[in-house]
Amino acid sequence: MKRSVCSGCSLLCDDIMVKSDGIYIDEVFGACLKGKEKFDQVTSQNRILSPLIRKDDTLQKASWDEALQRTVDLIKKSKKPLIYGLSNSSCEAQLKGIELAKLINGFIDSNASICQGKVLDNAVNSGITLTTITEIINKADLILLWGSNAAESIPRLLNKVLFSRGKFRMTGREIKTLIIIDPVKTASFNTMGVRDVALRITPGKDIELIKVLKEECCAADSIPSEGVAGLDKDDMKRLLQHLSGAEYGVIFVGQGLLTPQKNSNLINELLELVQMINIKQERGRITLAMMGGHFNMNGFDHVALSMYGKRGNLHFKDNQILETDENIISKIENEDFDCSIFIGTDPISHFPMSLSSKLAKKPIILIDNRNSATLQLASIVLPTTITGIECSGLAYRLDHIPIELKKIINPPSKIPTDEEILNQIIQKLKSDGGN
Amino acid sequence: MEVIKTDFILNTVRRMENDQSKEFSFGDKKSLVEKLAIAFINPKDFDKLNLSSKPNLKISSNFGIIIVKGIADEDVPEGTVLMPISIWSNQITGVENSELRYKNMRVDVDITEEKINDLNSLINKIKEA
Ligand code: SF4
Repeated sequence: MKRSVCSGCSLLCDDIMVKSDGIYIDEVFGACLKGKEKFDQVTSQNRILSPLIRKDDTLQKASWDEALQRTVDLIKKSKKPLIYGLSNSSCEAQLKGIELAKLINGFIDSNASICQGKVLDNAVNSGITLTTITEIINKADLILLWGSNAAESIPRLLNKVLFSRGKFRMTGREIKTLIIIDPVKTASFNTMGVRDVALRITPGKDIELIKVLKEECCAADSIPSEGVAGLDKDDMKRLLQHLSGAEYGVIFVGQGLLTPQKNSNLINELLELVQMINIKQERGRITLAMMGGHFNMNGFDHVALSMYGKRGNLHFKDNQILETDENIISKIENEDFDCSIFIGTDPISHFPMSLSSKLAKKPIILIDNRNSATLQLASIVLPTTITGIECSGLAYRLDHIPIELKKIINPPSKIPTDEEILNQIIQKLKSDGGN
Repeated sequence: MEVIKTDFILNTVRRMENDQSKEFSFGDKKSLVEKLAIAFINPKDFDKLNLSSKPNLKISSNFGIIIVKGIADEDVPEGTVLMPISIWSNQITGVENSELRYKNMRVDVDITEEKINDLNSLINKIKEA
Protein backbone atom coordinates (compact mmCIF):
# COMPACT_ATOMS: atom_id res chain seq x y z
CA MET A 1 0.00 0.00 0.00
CA LYS A 2 1.48 3.36 -1.00
CA ARG A 3 0.48 6.91 -0.19
CA SER A 4 -0.37 8.79 -3.39
CA VAL A 5 -1.72 12.09 -4.61
CA CYS A 6 -5.12 12.15 -6.31
CA SER A 7 -5.28 14.17 -9.54
CA GLY A 8 -9.09 14.10 -9.61
CA CYS A 9 -9.31 17.84 -8.94
CA SER A 10 -7.24 20.84 -7.94
CA LEU A 11 -7.24 19.92 -4.23
CA LEU A 12 -4.61 17.27 -5.06
CA CYS A 13 -5.30 15.25 -1.88
CA ASP A 14 -2.02 13.70 -0.79
CA ASP A 15 -3.51 11.24 1.71
CA ILE A 16 -4.79 8.63 -0.74
CA MET A 17 -3.67 5.03 -0.19
CA VAL A 18 -3.28 2.90 -3.31
CA LYS A 19 -2.76 -0.85 -3.42
CA SER A 20 -0.99 -1.75 -6.64
CA ASP A 21 1.58 -4.18 -8.03
CA GLY A 22 2.82 -1.54 -10.49
CA ILE A 23 0.79 -3.08 -13.31
CA TYR A 24 -2.78 -2.89 -12.01
CA ILE A 25 -4.45 -0.77 -9.35
CA ASP A 26 -6.20 -3.14 -6.93
CA GLU A 27 -7.74 -0.72 -4.47
CA VAL A 28 -7.91 2.99 -3.71
CA PHE A 29 -8.62 4.18 -0.16
CA GLY A 30 -9.47 7.68 1.00
CA ALA A 31 -10.45 9.25 -2.33
CA CYS A 32 -13.89 10.76 -2.88
CA LEU A 33 -16.19 9.52 -5.63
CA LYS A 34 -14.68 11.94 -8.12
CA GLY A 35 -11.18 10.78 -7.19
CA LYS A 36 -12.17 7.11 -7.53
CA GLU A 37 -13.52 7.88 -11.00
CA LYS A 38 -10.17 9.35 -11.93
CA PHE A 39 -8.45 6.08 -11.00
CA ASP A 40 -11.17 4.13 -12.87
CA GLN A 41 -10.31 6.03 -16.03
CA VAL A 42 -7.26 3.78 -16.41
CA THR A 43 -9.55 0.96 -17.53
CA SER A 44 -12.44 3.04 -18.84
CA GLN A 45 -14.25 1.39 -21.76
CA ASN A 46 -13.99 4.53 -23.89
CA ARG A 47 -10.31 5.17 -23.35
CA ILE A 48 -8.28 6.01 -26.44
CA LEU A 49 -5.41 3.56 -26.75
CA SER A 50 -4.24 4.06 -30.31
CA PRO A 51 -3.46 7.11 -32.47
CA LEU A 52 -6.34 7.99 -34.80
CA ILE A 53 -6.33 9.80 -38.13
CA ARG A 54 -9.39 11.08 -39.95
CA LYS A 55 -9.75 9.46 -43.40
CA ASP A 56 -12.95 9.71 -45.49
CA ASP A 57 -14.57 11.56 -42.59
CA THR A 58 -14.02 8.76 -40.08
CA LEU A 59 -11.33 8.35 -37.46
CA GLN A 60 -9.17 5.32 -38.21
CA LYS A 61 -6.42 3.67 -36.21
CA ALA A 62 -2.91 4.63 -37.29
CA SER A 63 0.67 3.92 -36.26
CA TRP A 64 2.46 6.43 -34.05
CA ASP A 65 4.90 7.21 -36.90
CA GLU A 66 2.08 8.01 -39.31
CA ALA A 67 0.10 10.04 -36.76
CA LEU A 68 3.13 12.08 -35.71
CA GLN A 69 4.11 12.70 -39.34
CA ARG A 70 0.56 13.89 -40.13
CA THR A 71 0.64 16.12 -37.05
CA VAL A 72 3.92 17.71 -38.08
CA ASP A 73 2.71 18.13 -41.69
CA LEU A 74 -0.41 19.95 -40.46
CA ILE A 75 1.60 22.19 -38.15
CA LYS A 76 4.12 23.01 -40.90
CA LYS A 77 1.29 24.16 -43.15
CA SER A 78 -0.18 26.34 -40.43
CA LYS A 79 0.62 30.06 -40.21
CA LYS A 80 -1.45 30.76 -37.08
CA PRO A 81 -1.58 27.70 -34.83
CA LEU A 82 -3.46 27.75 -31.52
CA ILE A 83 -2.46 25.62 -28.55
CA TYR A 84 -4.98 25.36 -25.72
CA GLY A 85 -5.74 23.26 -22.65
CA LEU A 86 -2.94 21.81 -20.50
CA SER A 87 -4.78 22.20 -17.16
CA ASN A 88 -4.91 18.41 -16.95
CA SER A 89 -1.20 18.09 -17.72
CA SER A 90 1.92 18.37 -15.60
CA CYS A 91 3.99 21.56 -15.48
CA GLU A 92 6.68 19.70 -17.44
CA ALA A 93 4.15 19.20 -20.29
CA GLN A 94 3.07 22.85 -20.00
CA LEU A 95 6.70 23.85 -20.43
CA LYS A 96 6.92 21.73 -23.60
CA GLY A 97 3.68 23.26 -24.85
CA ILE A 98 5.18 26.74 -24.55
CA GLU A 99 8.38 25.53 -26.26
CA LEU A 100 6.26 24.21 -29.14
CA ALA A 101 4.26 27.46 -29.36
CA LYS A 102 7.50 29.43 -29.60
CA LEU A 103 8.94 27.12 -32.26
CA ILE A 104 5.83 27.30 -34.47
CA ASN A 105 5.04 30.99 -33.79
CA GLY A 106 1.72 30.11 -32.26
CA PHE A 107 -0.64 31.34 -29.57
CA ILE A 108 -0.88 29.30 -26.38
CA ASP A 109 -3.14 29.50 -23.37
CA SER A 110 -4.56 27.26 -20.68
CA ASN A 111 -8.12 26.73 -19.40
CA ALA A 112 -7.25 28.94 -16.40
CA SER A 113 -7.51 32.16 -18.39
CA ILE A 114 -11.28 31.78 -18.79
CA CYS A 115 -11.76 30.65 -15.19
CA GLN A 116 -9.85 31.53 -12.05
CA GLY A 117 -7.05 33.37 -13.85
CA LYS A 118 -9.26 36.49 -13.93
CA VAL A 119 -9.47 36.61 -10.13
CA LEU A 120 -5.75 36.16 -9.74
CA ASP A 121 -4.96 39.08 -12.06
CA ASN A 122 -7.30 41.39 -10.15
CA ALA A 123 -6.20 40.16 -6.71
CA VAL A 124 -2.54 40.75 -7.53
CA ASN A 125 -3.31 44.25 -8.80
CA SER A 126 -5.32 45.11 -5.69
CA GLY A 127 -2.69 43.73 -3.32
CA ILE A 128 -5.04 41.24 -1.65
CA THR A 129 -3.25 38.13 -0.50
CA LEU A 130 -4.56 34.67 -1.19
CA THR A 131 -4.46 31.99 1.44
CA THR A 132 -3.43 28.34 1.59
CA ILE A 133 -5.34 25.23 2.65
CA THR A 134 -3.04 24.79 5.66
CA GLU A 135 -3.70 28.36 6.82
CA ILE A 136 -7.43 27.79 6.48
CA ILE A 137 -7.28 24.51 8.45
CA ASN A 138 -5.21 26.11 11.18
CA LYS A 139 -6.85 29.50 11.48
CA ALA A 140 -10.19 29.94 9.76
CA ASP A 141 -13.32 30.55 11.83
CA LEU A 142 -15.43 31.70 8.89
CA ILE A 143 -15.80 30.02 5.50
CA LEU A 144 -17.85 31.68 2.81
CA LEU A 145 -18.68 29.78 -0.38
CA TRP A 146 -19.74 32.40 -2.89
CA GLY A 147 -21.11 31.00 -6.14
CA SER A 148 -19.17 27.82 -5.53
CA ASN A 149 -20.54 24.35 -4.95
CA ALA A 150 -17.52 22.88 -3.20
CA ALA A 151 -19.29 19.66 -2.23
CA GLU A 152 -19.49 18.65 -5.89
CA SER A 153 -16.62 20.42 -7.61
CA ILE A 154 -13.92 19.79 -4.96
CA PRO A 155 -15.62 17.12 -2.86
CA ARG A 156 -13.14 16.84 0.04
CA LEU A 157 -12.54 20.58 0.43
CA LEU A 158 -15.12 21.05 3.18
CA ASN A 159 -13.87 17.93 5.03
CA LYS A 160 -10.47 19.54 5.14
CA VAL A 161 -11.30 23.14 5.91
CA LEU A 162 -14.58 22.94 7.80
CA PHE A 163 -14.62 19.64 9.66
CA SER A 164 -10.92 19.60 10.55
CA ARG A 165 -9.20 20.71 13.74
CA GLY A 166 -6.28 23.04 13.15
CA LYS A 167 -3.44 24.36 15.26
CA PHE A 168 -5.35 27.43 16.43
CA ARG A 169 -8.78 25.92 15.94
CA MET A 170 -8.70 22.87 18.18
CA THR A 171 -12.44 23.05 18.61
CA GLY A 172 -12.93 22.47 14.90
CA ARG A 173 -16.36 22.59 13.25
CA GLU A 174 -18.16 23.84 16.39
CA ILE A 175 -16.61 27.29 16.18
CA LYS A 176 -16.46 27.55 12.39
CA THR A 177 -19.25 29.34 10.59
CA LEU A 178 -20.17 28.40 7.05
CA ILE A 179 -21.92 30.94 4.84
CA ILE A 180 -23.14 30.01 1.37
CA ILE A 181 -24.30 32.60 -1.15
CA ASP A 182 -25.87 30.89 -4.12
CA PRO A 183 -29.17 31.12 -6.01
CA VAL A 184 -29.46 27.34 -6.16
CA LYS A 185 -29.66 25.08 -3.10
CA THR A 186 -26.59 23.05 -4.06
CA ALA A 187 -25.26 19.91 -2.37
CA SER A 188 -22.97 22.16 -0.28
CA PHE A 189 -26.04 23.40 1.64
CA ASN A 190 -26.36 19.88 3.10
CA THR A 191 -23.25 20.50 5.21
CA MET A 192 -24.82 23.46 7.02
CA GLY A 193 -25.57 23.51 10.74
CA VAL A 194 -27.84 25.72 12.82
CA ARG A 195 -25.26 28.49 13.25
CA ASP A 196 -24.48 28.69 9.56
CA VAL A 197 -25.97 31.18 7.13
CA ALA A 198 -27.64 30.14 3.87
CA LEU A 199 -28.24 33.03 1.49
CA ARG A 200 -30.27 32.16 -1.60
CA ILE A 201 -29.54 35.20 -3.70
CA THR A 202 -31.52 36.15 -6.81
CA PRO A 203 -29.59 34.89 -9.88
CA GLY A 204 -27.23 37.49 -11.32
CA LYS A 205 -27.68 39.96 -8.45
CA ASP A 206 -24.35 39.39 -6.67
CA ILE A 207 -23.09 42.75 -7.90
CA GLU A 208 -26.01 44.55 -6.23
CA LEU A 209 -25.34 42.78 -2.95
CA ILE A 210 -21.63 43.65 -3.05
CA LYS A 211 -22.33 47.31 -3.83
CA VAL A 212 -24.78 47.68 -0.94
CA LEU A 213 -22.40 45.92 1.46
CA LYS A 214 -19.68 48.37 0.39
CA GLU A 215 -22.00 51.29 1.08
CA GLU A 216 -22.87 49.82 4.47
CA CYS A 217 -19.14 49.58 5.27
CA CYS A 218 -18.84 53.33 4.63
CA ALA A 219 -22.09 54.44 6.27
CA ALA A 220 -24.22 52.29 8.56
CA ASP A 221 -27.90 51.89 7.65
CA SER A 222 -27.30 52.01 3.91
CA ILE A 223 -29.12 48.71 3.40
CA PRO A 224 -32.63 49.38 2.05
CA SER A 225 -35.38 48.15 4.37
CA GLU A 226 -36.71 45.79 1.70
CA GLY A 227 -33.25 44.20 1.31
CA VAL A 228 -31.36 43.61 -1.91
CA ALA A 229 -30.94 40.78 -4.40
CA GLY A 230 -33.62 38.63 -2.83
CA LEU A 231 -31.99 38.80 0.64
CA ASP A 232 -33.62 40.59 3.53
CA LYS A 233 -31.98 43.35 5.51
CA ASP A 234 -31.31 41.21 8.59
CA ASP A 235 -29.57 38.54 6.51
CA MET A 236 -27.33 41.16 4.97
CA LYS A 237 -26.49 42.67 8.37
CA ARG A 238 -25.70 39.20 9.69
CA LEU A 239 -23.44 38.57 6.69
CA LEU A 240 -21.53 41.78 7.27
CA GLN A 241 -21.25 41.12 11.01
CA HIS A 242 -19.74 37.71 10.33
CA LEU A 243 -17.32 39.13 7.78
CA SER A 244 -16.16 41.99 9.95
CA GLY A 245 -16.10 39.94 13.15
CA ALA A 246 -14.17 36.91 11.90
CA GLU A 247 -10.67 36.28 13.18
CA TYR A 248 -9.76 34.59 9.93
CA GLY A 249 -12.38 34.45 7.21
CA VAL A 250 -11.99 32.91 3.78
CA ILE A 251 -14.11 33.59 0.72
CA PHE A 252 -14.01 30.73 -1.79
CA VAL A 253 -14.71 32.34 -5.14
CA GLY A 254 -16.58 30.04 -7.51
CA GLN A 255 -17.67 30.08 -11.12
CA GLY A 256 -20.88 31.81 -10.10
CA LEU A 257 -18.90 35.00 -9.45
CA LEU A 258 -16.88 34.87 -12.66
CA THR A 259 -19.75 35.65 -15.00
CA PRO A 260 -19.08 38.91 -16.85
CA GLN A 261 -21.44 41.76 -15.91
CA LYS A 262 -22.44 44.72 -18.03
CA ASN A 263 -20.72 47.96 -16.91
CA SER A 264 -19.04 46.53 -13.82
CA ASN A 265 -16.29 44.19 -12.82
CA LEU A 266 -17.74 41.87 -10.22
CA ILE A 267 -14.39 40.55 -9.06
CA ASN A 268 -12.97 44.05 -8.58
CA GLU A 269 -16.05 45.05 -6.61
CA LEU A 270 -15.64 41.97 -4.39
CA LEU A 271 -11.95 42.73 -3.86
CA GLU A 272 -12.80 46.30 -2.88
CA LEU A 273 -15.39 44.99 -0.41
CA VAL A 274 -12.78 42.69 1.13
CA GLN A 275 -10.34 45.62 1.42
CA MET A 276 -13.00 47.75 3.11
CA ILE A 277 -13.91 45.00 5.57
CA ASN A 278 -10.25 44.42 6.37
CA ILE A 279 -9.81 48.11 7.17
CA LYS A 280 -12.80 47.91 9.55
CA GLN A 281 -11.68 44.59 11.01
CA GLU A 282 -10.47 44.77 14.56
CA ARG A 283 -9.82 41.13 15.29
CA GLY A 284 -8.60 39.57 12.09
CA ARG A 285 -8.92 39.61 8.34
CA ILE A 286 -10.72 38.23 5.34
CA THR A 287 -8.81 36.51 2.59
CA LEU A 288 -9.63 34.78 -0.69
CA ALA A 289 -9.18 31.33 -2.14
CA MET A 290 -10.05 30.08 -5.60
CA MET A 291 -11.74 26.95 -6.78
CA GLY A 292 -10.04 25.76 -9.98
CA GLY A 293 -11.50 22.57 -11.38
CA HIS A 294 -8.79 20.75 -13.34
CA PHE A 295 -5.99 19.37 -11.22
CA ASN A 296 -3.27 21.65 -12.60
CA MET A 297 -5.37 24.71 -13.40
CA ASN A 298 -2.75 26.88 -11.68
CA GLY A 299 0.36 25.29 -13.13
CA PHE A 300 0.35 27.12 -16.45
CA ASP A 301 0.33 30.49 -14.64
CA HIS A 302 3.51 29.57 -12.80
CA VAL A 303 5.26 28.13 -15.84
CA ALA A 304 4.33 31.05 -18.12
CA LEU A 305 5.19 33.62 -15.42
CA SER A 306 8.58 32.10 -14.78
CA MET A 307 9.42 32.05 -18.49
CA TYR A 308 7.81 35.20 -19.89
CA GLY A 309 6.48 37.20 -16.93
CA LYS A 310 2.92 36.68 -18.17
CA ARG A 311 0.24 34.46 -16.72
CA GLY A 312 -1.25 33.28 -20.00
CA ASN A 313 -2.13 34.37 -23.55
CA LEU A 314 1.37 33.84 -24.89
CA HIS A 315 1.67 34.87 -28.52
CA PHE A 316 4.89 34.21 -30.42
CA LYS A 317 6.17 35.75 -33.63
CA ASP A 318 9.66 35.26 -35.08
CA ASN A 319 10.17 33.00 -32.06
CA GLN A 320 9.77 36.00 -29.73
CA ILE A 321 6.94 36.80 -27.34
CA LEU A 322 4.54 39.51 -28.57
CA GLU A 323 2.59 41.96 -26.45
CA THR A 324 -1.06 41.19 -27.11
CA ASP A 325 -4.52 41.88 -25.70
CA GLU A 326 -5.87 38.81 -27.48
CA ASN A 327 -7.18 35.86 -25.53
CA ILE A 328 -8.31 32.42 -26.57
CA ILE A 329 -11.90 33.61 -26.97
CA SER A 330 -11.07 36.57 -29.20
CA LYS A 331 -8.68 34.43 -31.25
CA ILE A 332 -11.43 31.92 -32.02
CA GLU A 333 -14.14 34.54 -32.38
CA ASN A 334 -12.09 36.46 -34.96
CA GLU A 335 -11.02 33.20 -36.63
CA ASP A 336 -7.46 34.30 -36.14
CA PHE A 337 -6.08 30.75 -36.37
CA ASP A 338 -5.77 28.09 -39.03
CA CYS A 339 -5.12 24.97 -36.95
CA SER A 340 -5.58 24.08 -33.29
CA ILE A 341 -3.81 21.73 -30.92
CA PHE A 342 -5.82 20.80 -27.81
CA ILE A 343 -4.21 19.04 -24.88
CA GLY A 344 -6.39 17.33 -22.26
CA THR A 345 -9.43 19.45 -22.93
CA ASP A 346 -12.74 19.33 -24.80
CA PRO A 347 -13.42 22.81 -26.20
CA ILE A 348 -16.08 21.60 -28.65
CA SER A 349 -18.19 20.77 -25.59
CA HIS A 350 -17.02 23.50 -23.28
CA PHE A 351 -17.24 26.51 -25.57
CA PRO A 352 -20.47 28.03 -26.88
CA MET A 353 -21.64 26.84 -30.28
CA SER A 354 -20.51 30.15 -31.91
CA LEU A 355 -16.92 29.26 -31.02
CA SER A 356 -17.02 25.48 -31.44
CA SER A 357 -18.39 25.84 -34.98
CA LYS A 358 -15.40 28.05 -35.84
CA LEU A 359 -12.98 25.54 -34.33
CA ALA A 360 -14.62 22.77 -36.35
CA LYS A 361 -13.80 24.53 -39.63
CA LYS A 362 -10.03 24.22 -39.14
CA PRO A 363 -7.92 21.10 -38.53
CA ILE A 364 -7.86 19.94 -34.90
CA ILE A 365 -5.02 17.94 -33.36
CA LEU A 366 -6.15 16.40 -30.07
CA ILE A 367 -3.79 15.06 -27.40
CA ASP A 368 -5.96 13.36 -24.76
CA ASN A 369 -6.75 10.09 -23.06
CA ARG A 370 -10.51 10.09 -23.21
CA ASN A 371 -13.43 10.31 -25.54
CA SER A 372 -14.95 13.77 -26.06
CA ALA A 373 -16.95 15.89 -28.48
CA THR A 374 -13.66 17.38 -29.69
CA LEU A 375 -12.52 13.86 -30.62
CA GLN A 376 -15.57 13.55 -32.91
CA LEU A 377 -14.25 16.47 -34.97
CA ALA A 378 -10.49 16.03 -34.65
CA SER A 379 -8.28 15.40 -37.68
CA ILE A 380 -5.65 13.61 -35.60
CA VAL A 381 -5.90 12.10 -32.10
CA LEU A 382 -2.79 11.25 -30.10
CA PRO A 383 -3.57 9.20 -26.97
CA THR A 384 -1.75 10.03 -23.79
CA THR A 385 -1.15 8.80 -20.25
CA ILE A 386 -3.11 9.82 -17.15
CA THR A 387 -0.84 12.15 -15.18
CA GLY A 388 -0.50 11.23 -11.51
CA ILE A 389 -1.33 7.58 -12.18
CA GLU A 390 0.63 6.51 -15.26
CA CYS A 391 3.28 9.21 -15.19
CA SER A 392 4.78 11.60 -12.67
CA GLY A 393 4.99 15.38 -12.81
CA LEU A 394 4.58 18.63 -10.94
CA ALA A 395 1.20 20.31 -10.38
CA TYR A 396 0.07 23.38 -8.44
CA ARG A 397 -2.74 22.87 -5.94
CA LEU A 398 -5.69 25.30 -5.87
CA ASP A 399 -3.80 27.39 -3.29
CA HIS A 400 -0.71 27.52 -5.54
CA ILE A 401 1.34 25.05 -3.50
CA PRO A 402 3.46 22.81 -5.78
CA ILE A 403 2.73 19.10 -5.35
CA GLU A 404 4.75 16.28 -6.89
CA LEU A 405 2.62 13.61 -8.57
CA LYS A 406 4.08 10.10 -8.73
CA LYS A 407 3.66 7.35 -11.28
CA ILE A 408 1.78 4.35 -9.84
CA ILE A 409 1.46 1.99 -12.82
CA ASN A 410 2.77 1.70 -16.39
CA PRO A 411 0.45 3.08 -19.07
CA PRO A 412 -1.29 0.60 -21.40
CA SER A 413 0.14 0.00 -24.88
CA LYS A 414 3.27 2.03 -24.01
CA ILE A 415 1.31 5.25 -24.49
CA PRO A 416 3.59 8.32 -24.12
CA THR A 417 3.00 11.21 -21.73
CA ASP A 418 1.78 14.66 -22.85
CA GLU A 419 5.33 15.90 -22.34
CA GLU A 420 6.80 13.12 -24.49
CA ILE A 421 4.28 13.64 -27.30
CA LEU A 422 4.93 17.40 -27.38
CA ASN A 423 8.67 16.75 -27.32
CA GLN A 424 8.40 14.28 -30.19
CA ILE A 425 6.49 16.87 -32.24
CA ILE A 426 9.16 19.49 -31.45
CA GLN A 427 12.03 17.15 -32.36
CA LYS A 428 10.33 16.07 -35.58
CA LEU A 429 9.65 19.67 -36.58
CA LYS A 430 13.29 20.53 -35.94
CA SER A 431 14.63 17.55 -37.85
CA ASP A 432 12.26 18.29 -40.75
CA GLY A 433 13.69 21.81 -40.97
CA GLY A 434 11.39 23.80 -38.67
CA ASN A 435 7.99 25.32 -39.29
CA MET B 1 -52.79 25.84 -30.51
CA GLU B 2 -51.86 28.07 -27.59
CA VAL B 3 -48.10 28.36 -27.09
CA ILE B 4 -47.05 28.79 -23.48
CA LYS B 5 -43.91 30.89 -23.31
CA THR B 6 -42.11 32.04 -20.22
CA ASP B 7 -39.04 34.14 -19.50
CA PHE B 8 -36.43 32.33 -17.41
CA ILE B 9 -32.87 32.91 -16.24
CA LEU B 10 -30.48 30.21 -17.42
CA ASN B 11 -27.72 29.02 -15.14
CA THR B 12 -25.25 26.30 -16.11
CA VAL B 13 -23.56 24.31 -13.36
CA ARG B 14 -21.25 21.38 -12.69
CA ARG B 15 -22.94 18.47 -10.91
CA MET B 16 -21.31 15.16 -10.10
CA GLU B 17 -24.42 13.27 -11.19
CA ASN B 18 -24.48 15.09 -14.52
CA ASP B 19 -20.83 15.26 -15.45
CA GLN B 20 -19.97 15.32 -19.12
CA SER B 21 -16.37 14.06 -18.77
CA LYS B 22 -17.64 11.12 -16.71
CA GLU B 23 -20.22 10.22 -19.35
CA PHE B 24 -17.66 10.48 -22.14
CA SER B 25 -15.34 8.16 -20.17
CA PHE B 26 -17.76 5.60 -18.82
CA GLY B 27 -21.10 6.10 -20.57
CA ASP B 28 -22.48 5.85 -24.09
CA LYS B 29 -24.52 8.02 -26.44
CA LYS B 30 -27.71 7.12 -24.58
CA SER B 31 -26.38 7.97 -21.13
CA LEU B 32 -24.91 11.24 -22.45
CA VAL B 33 -28.42 12.30 -23.45
CA GLU B 34 -30.00 11.01 -20.22
CA LYS B 35 -27.52 12.77 -17.97
CA LEU B 36 -26.83 15.96 -19.91
CA ALA B 37 -29.68 16.80 -22.28
CA ILE B 38 -31.77 17.92 -19.31
CA ALA B 39 -32.86 21.09 -17.57
CA PHE B 40 -34.02 21.47 -13.97
CA ILE B 41 -36.83 23.84 -13.09
CA ASN B 42 -38.81 24.56 -9.95
CA PRO B 43 -41.91 22.30 -9.54
CA LYS B 44 -44.15 25.41 -9.62
CA ASP B 45 -42.72 26.35 -13.03
CA PHE B 46 -43.06 22.70 -14.05
CA ASP B 47 -46.79 22.91 -13.33
CA LYS B 48 -47.18 26.38 -14.84
CA LEU B 49 -45.64 25.18 -18.07
CA ASN B 50 -47.84 22.09 -17.90
CA LEU B 51 -44.74 20.06 -18.60
CA SER B 52 -46.45 16.78 -17.84
CA SER B 53 -48.56 17.30 -20.99
CA LYS B 54 -45.57 17.42 -23.33
CA PRO B 55 -42.30 15.74 -22.56
CA ASN B 56 -39.62 18.23 -23.48
CA LEU B 57 -38.43 21.81 -23.08
CA LYS B 58 -37.38 24.04 -25.92
CA ILE B 59 -34.98 26.63 -24.50
CA SER B 60 -34.07 29.61 -26.67
CA SER B 61 -31.52 32.33 -25.97
CA ASN B 62 -30.05 35.09 -28.13
CA PHE B 63 -27.41 32.56 -29.10
CA GLY B 64 -29.37 29.45 -30.02
CA ILE B 65 -32.03 26.84 -29.31
CA ILE B 66 -31.87 23.43 -27.64
CA ILE B 67 -34.44 20.72 -26.90
CA VAL B 68 -33.92 18.92 -23.60
CA LYS B 69 -35.90 16.96 -21.04
CA GLY B 70 -37.40 19.08 -18.23
CA ILE B 71 -37.04 17.84 -14.66
CA ALA B 72 -38.75 19.34 -11.60
CA ASP B 73 -36.32 20.20 -8.79
CA GLU B 74 -37.40 22.15 -5.73
CA ASP B 75 -33.82 23.32 -5.08
CA VAL B 76 -33.96 25.46 -8.22
CA PRO B 77 -35.50 28.90 -7.65
CA GLU B 78 -38.67 29.81 -9.52
CA GLY B 79 -37.92 31.49 -12.84
CA THR B 80 -34.55 29.77 -13.16
CA VAL B 81 -33.63 27.00 -15.53
CA LEU B 82 -30.56 25.05 -14.50
CA MET B 83 -28.54 22.97 -16.96
CA PRO B 84 -25.44 20.85 -16.42
CA ILE B 85 -22.47 22.29 -18.29
CA SER B 86 -22.20 20.32 -21.52
CA ILE B 87 -22.37 20.48 -25.27
CA TRP B 88 -26.17 20.73 -24.85
CA SER B 89 -26.13 23.79 -22.61
CA ASN B 90 -23.48 25.36 -24.81
CA GLN B 91 -25.89 25.46 -27.74
CA ILE B 92 -27.55 28.39 -25.98
CA THR B 93 -24.59 30.08 -24.27
CA GLY B 94 -22.51 32.62 -26.12
CA VAL B 95 -19.81 35.26 -26.24
CA GLU B 96 -20.10 38.98 -25.48
CA ASN B 97 -17.12 41.35 -25.58
CA SER B 98 -14.80 38.36 -25.89
CA GLU B 99 -16.10 36.92 -22.61
CA LEU B 100 -18.07 33.72 -22.22
CA ARG B 101 -21.73 34.13 -21.22
CA TYR B 102 -22.86 30.92 -19.60
CA LYS B 103 -24.71 32.05 -16.50
CA ASN B 104 -27.53 34.39 -15.59
CA MET B 105 -28.79 34.70 -19.16
CA ARG B 106 -32.36 35.43 -20.10
CA VAL B 107 -33.96 32.58 -22.05
CA ASP B 108 -37.41 31.66 -23.33
CA VAL B 109 -38.75 28.26 -22.33
CA ASP B 110 -41.55 26.45 -24.18
CA ILE B 111 -42.86 22.93 -23.86
CA THR B 112 -42.52 20.87 -27.00
CA GLU B 113 -43.04 17.48 -28.55
CA GLU B 114 -39.91 17.92 -30.66
CA LYS B 115 -37.23 15.29 -30.15
CA ILE B 116 -34.29 15.85 -27.83
CA ASN B 117 -31.09 16.58 -29.73
CA ASP B 118 -28.65 13.66 -29.55
CA LEU B 119 -24.87 14.01 -29.64
CA ASN B 120 -24.57 13.21 -33.36
CA SER B 121 -27.11 15.86 -34.30
CA LEU B 122 -25.23 18.46 -32.25
CA ILE B 123 -21.88 17.49 -33.77
CA ASN B 124 -23.41 17.76 -37.26
CA LYS B 125 -24.91 21.13 -36.38
CA ILE B 126 -21.50 22.38 -35.22
CA LYS B 127 -19.85 21.03 -38.38
CA GLU B 128 -22.40 22.60 -40.69
CA ALA B 129 -22.81 25.96 -38.93
S1 SF4 C 1 -11.23 16.07 -3.48
FE1 SF4 C 1 -10.27 16.08 -5.47
S2 SF4 C 1 -8.14 15.49 -5.10
FE2 SF4 C 1 -9.32 14.96 -3.24
S3 SF4 C 1 -9.89 12.82 -3.53
FE3 SF4 C 1 -11.58 14.05 -4.34
S4 SF4 C 1 -11.11 14.31 -6.52
FE4 SF4 C 1 -9.24 13.59 -5.53
